[in-house]
Amino acid sequence: MVQERRILYEHLDVPDINTLEVYLQYNGYRGVEKALKELDPETITQTVSDSGLRGRGGAGFSTGMKWRFVPRDITPKYLCCNADESEPGTCKDRYVIERKPHMLLEGIIIACYAIGINTAYVYIRGEFTAGKKILDAAIEEAYEAGYLGKDILGTGFDLDVYTHPGAGAYICGEETGLIESLEGRRGQPRNKPPFPAVEGLFGKPTVVQNVETLANLPFIVLNGAEWFTSMGVDYNPPDAEKPNPMLVNTGTKLYGVSGHVEKPGVYELELGLTCRELIEVAGGVRGGNRLKAVIPGGSSAPVLTHYEIDVPMDFTSLQSAKTMLGSGGIIVMDETVCMVDALLNLLKFYAHESCGQCTPCRWGTPWARDIVDRIEHGEGRPGDIEKLQDVANNIANIDTFTWETICVFGISVSWPAVSYSRKFLPEFEAHIREGKCIVLDRDEACVSPEDNYAWMKSQ
Amino acid sequence: MGFSESAQEAFNTLIRRYPIKEAAMLPVLHLAQREWGHITPEIMLYVAKLLDVSPMKVRDVVTFYPMFLEQPPGKYLIRVCSTLPCALQESRKIVEHLRQRLGVDVADEHDITRGTTPDGKFTLMKVECLAACNVAPVMMVNETLHTELTPEKVDEILDGLE
Ligand SMILES: Cc1cc2nc3c(=O)[nH]c(=O)nc-3n(C[C@H](O)[C@H](O)[C@H](O)COP(=O)(O)O)c2cc1C
Ligand code: SF4
Ligand code: FES
Repeated sequence: MVQERRILYEHLDVPDINTLEVYLQYNGYRGVEKALKELDPETITQTVSDSGLRGRGGAGFSTGMKWRFVPRDITPKYLCCNADESEPGTCKDRYVIERKPHMLLEGIIIACYAIGINTAYVYIRGEFTAGKKILDAAIEEAYEAGYLGKDILGTGFDLDVYTHPGAGAYICGEETGLIESLEGRRGQPRNKPPFPAVEGLFGKPTVVQNVETLANLPFIVLNGAEWFTSMGVDYNPPDAEKPNPMLVNTGTKLYGVSGHVEKPGVYELELGLTCRELIEVAGGVRGGNRLKAVIPGGSSAPVLTHYEIDVPMDFTSLQSAKTMLGSGGIIVMDETVCMVDALLNLLKFYAHESCGQCTPCRWGTPWARDIVDRIEHGEGRPGDIEKLQDVANNIANIDTFTWETICVFGISVSWPAVSYSRKFLPEFEAHIREGKCIVLDRDEACVSPEDNYAWMKSQ
Repeated sequence: MGFSESAQEAFNTLIRRYPIKEAAMLPVLHLAQREWGHITPEIMLYVAKLLDVSPMKVRDVVTFYPMFLEQPPGKYLIRVCSTLPCALQESRKIVEHLRQRLGVDVADEHDITRGTTPDGKFTLMKVECLAACNVAPVMMVNETLHTELTPEKVDEILDGLE
């Protein structure tokens, strides 16, 4: 039986670990002490590069590489900690913020010291009122103890950290939407380039980094790159001269597991364990039911059927399986779920959250929603599935990996729409043929989940 | 129109955090909403003046973000999550139960009134994922998150609110 590997989530349940006093009893701020007193910024950047750490917010971009894009000589520079956590299924940063806010602050301090940043903003979703209070209190403690403010630990390094609340818009999790929002406007993503690393917040070089990514830093600094690469998987040949960062999947990952498992929860596992193993850690499918489908990386990720869950949970493998690790929000669906209904739920979400700048996204998303709505409610017409896929492909094309929009929100709409309707085609077709929902109605005469499985298996 | 003394103090702290005043827009609107319950046109004018921007800019922001309400919610704003992970744990039942118990429709950010009880005590509103999917289904009552809901648990919570 696979075990959890708790690094970030270690001591998560220790009472009052959110306070500085208790946090210090558990090796708190040793990462910061070592970074600021013993290491120079370049050494830290190199260590982070060597560790292979990839962004935990969704895109999985190499963290060390991102830092290298930042021009050294331009000041000021900014760090934005992405604590928006709004991708459906994602519920792992909340526990870092509420339980171990000082660990996050350590990560922020180390990143800022390494990049040469003196101001950091934590963009925290508006609904995290409790978390924001806890984090604000931790920041105050850190100032008082000399971990923040002027001349930190007598090293001459200055850093201010502020929280900045969002107000319920999903798109503000996209890094340039976040920056727009932080500047006091609608959170509408910007065209790239220029990338934030060059021209971001207030027109200055800016590094946007997810909560979990930052929380890894104190451990990497304390234990070294080699320790970090001993966890997870690296698909580069051992003797590779220039390892491809896209094949590196080192460290652990925080997973929020929701849906039809016995023990929904947040789990920390080494990267590269299979989806099946992760579901086992979460107690298996509820009530002995059969598994139907799994969303492996937040609601934007294309769905996996139960035949596909032996895929290792890492960036590289899930990309090969035409889906993604994304934010690590795992949504498990058992045989009682209607996939048309599930897709409809998500398309309603995306139609609500499109920021409206790009025509394919602004029009295509509600259009896709309406097609799926009528299929689910027995009013589907012949040709609707093709229409749905056509609309989706015109927002973003899963096969050619291209999109027509400013940000990759378009992918989040299109990829689920295409993957659900392809992988569960008989179910979609039967809805149209029978003129009703065949799964929720449990009509024996219709396509049963078994028929669906049989069809999938034959593909 | 003006902030109370404590809100003014909070405002003074906020404004110092940013190189440009406009960047304080979201935290200041949150402050205003906490102060007055919802964001009226007068408040938008007031905030515009505080931040040295045009009133249209403030309106632009207020209308974009679901958490800023242009109509007054009830004393207790109930935000029920209905996104997929919560739906898989039967959030529909929770919404239905709340509708029946409160005798109201489900509001969204554009129309708060239809989700508000005539006595102004409760507003029922559907929202998207609250990042607590592992303890679904969930709802927030004002600023408190309630998790792993059942109709019975919802009753207990509502009974306890005076
Ligand atoms: C529509 C959309 C929503 C996103 N939401 C989040 C989010 O809530 N939290 C997050 O950390 N990253 C989110 N991202 C990813 C960010 O754009 C960005 O890649 C990330 O914050 C970079 O940090 P990392 O390299 O540490 O992962 C989102 C991206 C898109 C396109
Ligand atoms: S793809 Fe959608 S969400 Fe992204 S910028 Fe365009 S309209 Fe906005
Ligand atoms: S879906 Fe309800 S909290 Fe995530």
